[in-house]
Amino acid sequence: MKGAHRIIVESKKVKYDFTIKRNITILTGNSGSGKTVLIELIRDYRRYGSDSGVFLSCDRECRTIDNEDWERQISETSNSIIFIDEGNRFLRSRKFADLLQKSDNYFVIATREKLPMLPYSVNEIYGFRQSGKFHNAKQKYNEIYHLYGEISEERMIVPEYVLTEDSNSGYEFFRELSKERNITCISANGKSNIISCLQKMERKKGTCLVIVDGSAFGSEMRDISEYLNDVDHIILYAPESFEWLLLSTDMIPNVRVTHILEQPEEYIDSKEYVSWERFFTSLLVSKTQGNPLWAYSKKKLPDMYLSSKILNAVKVQMKLIVWNS
Amino acid sequence: MLTIIYGDAENSIYNTSVYFKNTYEPEWLESELAKKMIKDVDNSDVLSGECINSPVLGQIPPERLSGGVKTLLLMLNESDKIFNASTCGDNCAKWILEIAKQKDLTINLRHMMSFGRDTAFEIRVENGGEIVHSMRELVPIANQYLNEMEQE
Repeated sequence: MKGAHRIIVESKKVKYDFTIKRNITILTGNSGSGKTVLIELIRDYRRYGSDSGVFLSCDRECRTIDNEDWERQISETSNSIIFIDEGNRFLRSRKFADLLQKSDNYFVIATREKLPMLPYSVNEIYGFRQSGKFHNAKQKYNEIYHLYGEISEERMIVPEYVLTEDSNSGYEFFRELSKERNITCISANGKSNIISCLQKMERKKGTCLVIVDGSAFGSEMRDISEYLNDVDHIILYAPESFEWLLLSTDMIPNVRVTHILEQPEEYIDSKEYVSWERFFTSLLVSKTQGNPLWAYSKKKLPDMYLSSKILNAVKVQMKLIVWNS
Repeated sequence: MLTIIYGDAENSIYNTSVYFKNTYEPEWLESELAKKMIKDVDNSDVLSGECINSPVLGQIPPERLSGGVKTLLLMLNESDKIFNASTCGDNCAKWILEIAKQKDLTINLRHMMSFGRDTAFEIRVENGGEIVHSMRELVPIANQYLNEMEQE
């Protein structure tokens, strides 16, 4: 499934109106904010249609799934939006992650549980804000230019050391960028190691810039944001992915994808790509293959991507961050 | 004292809503602490042991309280059992600490619950036996054990 889909669910007492645009959306937040009520209304509508007294509007079928027979239900459902409430143990199972990966459905999951096996985006975690009858979905984590932490438009970020989630091409690139500033760049070797690496570096002085792939970092966001609450010298930079950043420069020969980057959801098929990060990697690989100088590989970064032209273009994309000494 | 088991906990009750529906007793809602929790978390008033007045949903039975409040009521009344407290939002955290002041309480957490940036507390983390007093101390430890949680 592709595209953004607006969902309106209304009963006499409550109304929800929100839009989803990726295969995984997480509903989280305070108790009593209306997550379960939403799913119950969709379940009632699905069972009884307009007899339920619920109004539901969406250009795709909306349905709910719970513990009973969930594998068959997911396998037999296509091109739909599937809502799952908390309390379903299968959310943590390998089988569910596998089914989701191959599914052409979008999933909306109400849970606070940490689910690292599901590659969901930091941008698709929502909480409901209630105002009278209306429940508005609001992004859980506020950002400016993909930056999280103690940030403002007026405050420039001058990194004194850099920590990357990536250990391959992304790390190679930011290590080169860090060299220009004569600062250290370390790889955490994976998203789940970020906090333990920060702990080890706790005594280092100055601002630490942590760089992660936002489109698959959702499961870690809760832990990191709690960690950032207690420090003001660590800033998280979470663009969609390193490849997205390279594509955004518009500087790679014969790679013109601005129209895709403006509305990725219109181009990314959830059945083909479990996360936008994988799509952007595939896009960069396919657009550069056959070019002996620019053929992109996630494992080893070709030298052309370390040229001053690309380094400078990425610096421009990373707004509010000062890379020049 | 509050004890937390991060990740998988043997014999814990995972789906607290279903457990509550089949076990709650009307008198659970009539204690002062229960009324305060229901007012604070769900913004609702207890009319009787079987009826709550919600500003959004009108008069509702206890089964339709939020998942978080139902879990708090279970902790308050069946503190010998271990409940999945990841059914509770951060707005329940102060009430978990309050219940643990009254009686020893062990909970299971499968996410990073915030007990408050400036809140001082004493929590024992069962996984490794650590005693922590602030979120600053708790976050790295909880993160480590949550990362060890296995896929089923």
